[in-house]
Amino acid sequence: MKKGLALVLALVMALSLVACGSGNNGGGNNNGGNGGNGGNNGGDGGSAGGDGMNISVLYYNYSDAFISNVRNEMDAKWAEMGITANNQDGQTNAGTQLDQVNTAIANGAQALVVNAVEASADETTQAIVDAAKNANIPVIFFNREVSDDVVNSYELAAFVGTDPAEAGHMQGELIGNYLVENYDAVDLNGDGVISYVMFKGQENNPEAEMRTQYSVEDANAILTENGHPELSYYDSSAATQYLVDPNGSWSSAAAQDYMTTVLSAYSEANGNMVELVIANNDDMGLGAITALQTAGYNNGEGSTVIPVFTVDGLQGIVDAINAGNATGAVGQSATGLAEAVATLLQNYQETGDLMSNTEGMIVDEACAKIRVPYTTVS
Amino acid sequence: MSQESKELAAKAQKFSAKRLGDMVMNNMLIIIMVVAAVGIAIYKPGFVSPSSLVNILSLTAAYLPAALGIAGCIVLTGTDLSAGRCVGLTACVSASLLQSVEASNKMWPGIGTLPVPVVILVAMGIGALVGAFNGFFVGKFKLHPFIVTLGTQLILYTLLLLYVQMGNNGGNTIGNLAESYTSFVRDPLFSIPAANGASIPVPRYVLYSIILAVLMWFIWNKTTFGKNMFALGSNEEAARVSGVNVLLTTILVFALAGAMYGWTGFIEGARVAANNANTGLNYELDAIAACVIGGVSFVGGIGKISGIVIGVIMLRLIFVGLTFTGVDTNYQYLIKGGIILFACALDMRKYLVKK
Repeated sequence: MKKGLALVLALVMALSLVACGSGNNGGGNNNGGNGGNGGNNGGDGGSAGGDGMNISVLYYNYSDAFISNVRNEMDAKWAEMGITANNQDGQTNAGTQLDQVNTAIANGAQALVVNAVEASADETTQAIVDAAKNANIPVIFFNREVSDDVVNSYELAAFVGTDPAEAGHMQGELIGNYLVENYDAVDLNGDGVISYVMFKGQENNPEAEMRTQYSVEDANAILTENGHPELSYYDSSAATQYLVDPNGSWSSAAAQDYMTTVLSAYSEANGNMVELVIANNDDMGLGAITALQTAGYNNGEGSTVIPVFTVDGLQGIVDAINAGNATGAVGQSATGLAEAVATLLQNYQETGDLMSNTEGMIVDEACAKIRVPYTTVS
Repeated sequence: MSQESKELAAKAQKFSAKRLGDMVMNNMLIIIMVVAAVGIAIYKPGFVSPSSLVNILSLTAAYLPAALGIAGCIVLTGTDLSAGRCVGLTACVSASLLQSVEASNKMWPGIGTLPVPVVILVAMGIGALVGAFNGFFVGKFKLHPFIVTLGTQLILYTLLLLYVQMGNNGGNTIGNLAESYTSFVRDPLFSIPAANGASIPVPRYVLYSIILAVLMWFIWNKTTFGKNMFALGSNEEAARVSGVNVLLTTILVFALAGAMYGWTGFIEGARVAANNANTGLNYELDAIAACVIGGVSFVGGIGKISGIVIGVIMLRLIFVGLTFTGVDTNYQYLIKGGIILFACALDMRKYLVKK
């Protein structure tokens, strides 16, 4: 009986693995590629054709929704171009990522595409560039911005991505303009000041820091220009002017827990309702919306809507905006990012130079950096 | 008064002072909790308003089931690190099976919206299966649950990452839930009228958590399975000799824990309503901390449901209290860590005194 149970359990686990695996790999046809992927636990990249390159793509974290979108877009690109890609999950650990870089090079990768875990520390990204330099293969960083010095230190290094400060600036502009147009409607208690709550994804992350800072600063600039007072944080005595995910994972659950807690003390009935929600990413915005909905706000037409602004602009928040439950988002383009990276690799394949053909792209002057513009959704 | 009776009186007084000290020490956490609550309430009167108390109650209810589950594993001198990922997987599965028909990026367009009870069974079934898998390795191969569940945690993360990529989803956040699902979880059970004319809704999941707590109390205290669990946790050899089926009991304890994570996942799926591969991260740590604070001992065979409830309330009080007072978030970890250490020390102290 015991053995039977063991067998059943093992079978169930194996089956569920197989089921998930096959569901995922449905589209890819494996022609073997150009070998060399020996001991590495390969990613789920579609491997087609035999004439393409063999590259390694290193993501900072598989569980990030935006990065998952980028990964899907890139996988489609590689399949199109006949490139064999070996995807790796850095698990938000810079040390793990460096190990993955070295393993990839040892494994014969012909190019590295890196979404750096620790992009703000030059030592870490320089180590990646140096490893690529020693192997004489190109390295393209994407999404998280590395410094000019690091990119300039090697002729076969480039960066594709957004300017982290820009998302904050654009969010601030979006908020400022919206408030100027709808000031009295947003100011629920009519005291002339808009009180807001800010959800920060993580401490010590350049993107989170800049989004948190510039969104409020820029919105304030627009407000004062138009003769309105600056935004006021909902709790004036708080030590920090934001609520941060305790796990540093930009999660909707953290924003939800915070928002219900805030709403338990700040309400329209008390005349101190939070009148604006700013979130560092979509998920935190969605968590806040759920809390607002439970409290009777943001339920589409006919309900009082507290404006919610996010960054990422993925499907979930677009749906919420269309339903009238969120107000605006700054969007990153996963497709644009993947296309730009693919173009650079194609350049390298054809001419041996990453930046040989950057027609129609926004390129920095002094550095091999390509900017994929943010978009706004509102 | 004679010399003799004076001595006796002094002895009695000393005795009662010592007893009082013990009593204070044994209930130190509750005393600190009350003092802290009073302090915060003086600083921010809103902290003890009905709406704030309902909020603490709801947050406690949301985090209680996972703690109730993991407590069983701790009673067996083990732990369960796979809880968080299990919550994440079941939350994503629940949400994906209960998306509204109009959702623009519906993960499984072919299935419509399943009936809620079916999805509850699926979520708890997945959880129980994962738990039974853990329990099997712990009971059969005598591996420490720390190792087994560390492995399962990683395996579950793969399943979770693959799952959110399936169907039409492509790694996106799973939202746009069906009305039947969100109302089952979030709709008000009843509303308390507040002084200023507003009403404070108590969400339905509070009731479910109370039912689960009562059910778990019954299982722990009134069933043979519960008695076997404690016997096994106190002394495995003695339990075996007295006829307890060690393997089966271990599997059942872990499966029951898994079912609780499945339930938590089902509730979180609608409570937060934005689920992705990140969901559930580190839930096990909060659950374990709540149990430890509540006196479920890592020594094994010791623990009470009421203690777990207090532990969860305590952790949520810290969260809400720090949010209310606006304490620098950097210090939140210090306070949480300090309380966990202090609670464990108190717990061990009781155990040392017994020796």
